[in-house]
Amino acid sequence: MQTKIAFLLVLLLSGCNYSPDKNTKSHPRNDLIKTEGEMVAELTAPPNVPAPVGNRPAKKLKVELEIVERESELSDGVKYIFWTFGGSVPGSFIRGRVGDEVEFTLENHPDNKLPHNIDLHAVTGQGGGAEASFVAPGHKKTFTFKLINPGLYVYHCATAPVGMHIANGMYGLILVEPEGGLPPVDREYYVMQGDFYTKGNYGDPGLQPFDMQKAIAEHADYVVFNGKVGALTGDKALTAKVGETVRLFVGNGGPNIVSSFHVIGEVFDKVYVEGGDLINENIQTTLIPAGGAAIVDFRVEVPSTLILVDHSIFRAFNKGALGMLKVSGDRNDKVFSGEVLSGIYRPEGNVIQEISPSEPKPVRAVALSKAEKIKLGQQIYDRSCFACHQPDGQGLPNAFPPLAKADYLNEDVDRAIAAVIRGLSGEITVNGKKYHSVMPAQVLTDEETASVLTYIYNSWGNNGTEVTPEMVSKIRNSK
Amino acid sequence: MISSYFMKMGFGILALTILISVGLTEDFDDMSIYHLPSKWENQDGKEVVLSELKGNVLVVVMIYTSCQAACPILIGEMKSLEAQIREKSSGDVKYILVSIDPEQDTPERLKKLSQENKMSGDRWLFLRGTIESTRDFANLLAVKYTKISPVDFSHSNIISVFDKKGVLIHQQEGLRVDNKATIDKILELVE
Amino acid sequence: MRMLGALFVILFSVGFKGYAVAELVEIEGGSYLPSYGLKTGSQVDVESFYIDRTPVTNREFLEFVRDNQEWQRTNVKGIFAEKSYLQHWTSDLEILQGQEDFPVINVSWFAAKAYCKSKGLRLPKLNEWEMVAMASHDKKDAREDPEFTKFILSSYEKPKTYLKKVRLEEPNMYGVYDIHGMVWEWVEDFNSVIISGESRKEGDDGLFCAAGSVGASDLSNYAFFMRYAFRASLKANYTIKNLGFRCAK
Repeated sequence: MQTKIAFLLVLLLSGCNYSPDKNTKSHPRNDLIKTEGEMVAELTAPPNVPAPVGNRPAKKLKVELEIVERESELSDGVKYIFWTFGGSVPGSFIRGRVGDEVEFTLENHPDNKLPHNIDLHAVTGQGGGAEASFVAPGHKKTFTFKLINPGLYVYHCATAPVGMHIANGMYGLILVEPEGGLPPVDREYYVMQGDFYTKGNYGDPGLQPFDMQKAIAEHADYVVFNGKVGALTGDKALTAKVGETVRLFVGNGGPNIVSSFHVIGEVFDKVYVEGGDLINENIQTTLIPAGGAAIVDFRVEVPSTLILVDHSIFRAFNKGALGMLKVSGDRNDKVFSGEVLSGIYRPEGNVIQEISPSEPKPVRAVALSKAEKIKLGQQIYDRSCFACHQPDGQGLPNAFPPLAKADYLNEDVDRAIAAVIRGLSGEITVNGKKYHSVMPAQVLTDEETASVLTYIYNSWGNNGTEVTPEMVSKIRNSK
Repeated sequence: MISSYFMKMGFGILALTILISVGLTEDFDDMSIYHLPSKWENQDGKEVVLSELKGNVLVVVMIYTSCQAACPILIGEMKSLEAQIREKSSGDVKYILVSIDPEQDTPERLKKLSQENKMSGDRWLFLRGTIESTRDFANLLAVKYTKISPVDFSHSNIISVFDKKGVLIHQQEGLRVDNKATIDKILELVE
Repeated sequence: MRMLGALFVILFSVGFKGYAVAELVEIEGGSYLPSYGLKTGSQVDVESFYIDRTPVTNREFLEFVRDNQEWQRTNVKGIFAEKSYLQHWTSDLEILQGQEDFPVINVSWFAAKAYCKSKGLRLPKLNEWEMVAMASHDKKDAREDPEFTKFILSSYEKPKTYLKKVRLEEPNMYGVYDIHGMVWEWVEDFNSVIISGESRKEGDDGLFCAAGSVGASDLSNYAFFMRYAFRASLKANYTIKNLGFRCAK
């Protein structure tokens, strides 16, 4: 009896708390929205997005998407055969509004070897369109659907073996804006994470075939934004100006890995959680499931280079999940003085760690020329060094010392070799400024170490030293 | 005239091939099903050449008589189409049920199926071909099927509508789907 | 060796004006567990049959269309072959020089079938073709061999493998050439692969989901599922750049 009353009480209490607004409002019947006229959808390759829908009425929206199987770079010097929607990874960005009636034509290029299809998570209907769009090479299929639910949705190929089609890059985003559009911002970008599985290890050059075994084991060699290591760094970095509002449409194609999406040096003012209506505010890291998405909005207050990462951080520094947003403009010392080491993530802590415990690889028989070293060295630099030391060796003030015209570097080549192969910690002074960071030991062969150092010494006004594998070997053996 | 005579004599495909090459056949539409050189048997054991059906709107489904699951629904759907069209039009429409299982489905079995389901009269045609002509025909309709036991088949559930020239115009896919579009199309074609 | 002894090669000449000599090899019948039947464990029985050693070449197909005008590019009916039929030829009866011994492509199922018929042959059945395709150069069933499977999978990603003479690579243990790594091939019952509108049990999970339901150990399933998906995407009048055929008997 006692428990029964208590139970009733709970019911009554919760009844009082019940918010009629939030929970009893019936879902709007967007399927009944009438369309006025028709238009051809603008499709864009990443990192760009089509123009916002604004106040336009719902229309008949024609989308033509071409599937292209093509060879492209997964990282500098690493080639891969991508299967793409629209020629890019991720595929073309599609933008519509609730009530739009989409006439979707999927074209499979005649040079392609495989049949494909598309499953759009924004579609209400059999397989998200997978069966209706299943198309042989050299053919096209058209189907129609109505956009009923606003939000940011993943699309992907769903042809057997599904995992392989996704692993080769067949995913993208479709945005369904609410009536009247999303609140306007100054800049919008398209970023999508994906994991890749190659026969060789991370960075192994040449054409790398897909490795099904690694994919099944979920051992990704690459985790990247926008289909390539470095797709959003250096001169391809995203840009914004101080005072602007930035919106990122962030997706995760998978196939396997869930993303802890974070922007180093920024807090998300708003996150449209999982790409839906729920808005969370003041967020550091938002989880993006494989086959899911999120919209993040933030205002950029100070000039800096914001680093986009998957904060499962080894993916960022060792597998490629790293991008940049360069914010230019006037300083605002109240927001960020520039003197405090802040907003920089140091995953390695204060103890020097090796990046991988594996044995250094054997040296090849024929020594590389200086030019060959510089070429190889640049590739190594671009994947292992530039995240901290920056593309032009300028470093990050107060965090990572510069390599360009760096006295510490040019004074002592043996010390530089030791720093690369053993790592470095404790205070050092470079060009008159003190740094107190940690550099992890790099697992590189003697030849790779010699190459990357030769590249550094022959770039950005340094002294032109050529480092040989023998010099590296001497330091390595001189404990 | 000559071509259908030869086929009835049983020269079949070979004869027709020769005839096409010397240009004696009728000039059908490029996409006409009547190009298919095959002969069939109907529920009365009579030979039927597809091209004899020219001038009719054709509503076609592929079934087999020992089918327990999908076929009764498809047959019901065909009857419903026929009844609704008959109300609205007296034009020439043929409702054709083609056997997926020519080895088992003798004219007698087809006849029994037609009687059980009260599908008799000129408008109803039950056809049986050979294994080869059945596969050819299914392929023109993009119907997929495979034998999964000595008496059972898996098959796609498609009702196809052909215009008077034998060109495939419309397909209704699936079971218990809204047939309004199919009815509208048949009525449009029969005019 | 016992197996090899049981096989023998015949030269099959149909005496078609003396130039069309197709070379077939006999494949001993038997039972095997197909990749799609792993769940049910049901075997496939295949009776002994003959199959072409190589895919049909442009040169061979040219002889066929020369003698069968209705299969020439300008005469063929749309219902039997699409507009892209033989589009890699320069005209009705001309092959691009140097491509004579490349596999013929851009041929429809109806055209492939008519070609085989003209030689007194037929298209191979799906189960026959798959049985031959299981063999590597030294194993009758090499599906568990990771190198063999990797070779097949990588060839499915490689573009333009049809621009190559037949018979350049090592044959498999039956003496059959180029069954992998060159072109997709038509089979007689390609339309037995069902993807939708299915009325009973397994339904369409075959195409869209089954790849996920098999054990990770058997990678060859993935190669099989890619062929399976490819066949399911076809219609009989389709003509495709990567799709050829060979005959059987």
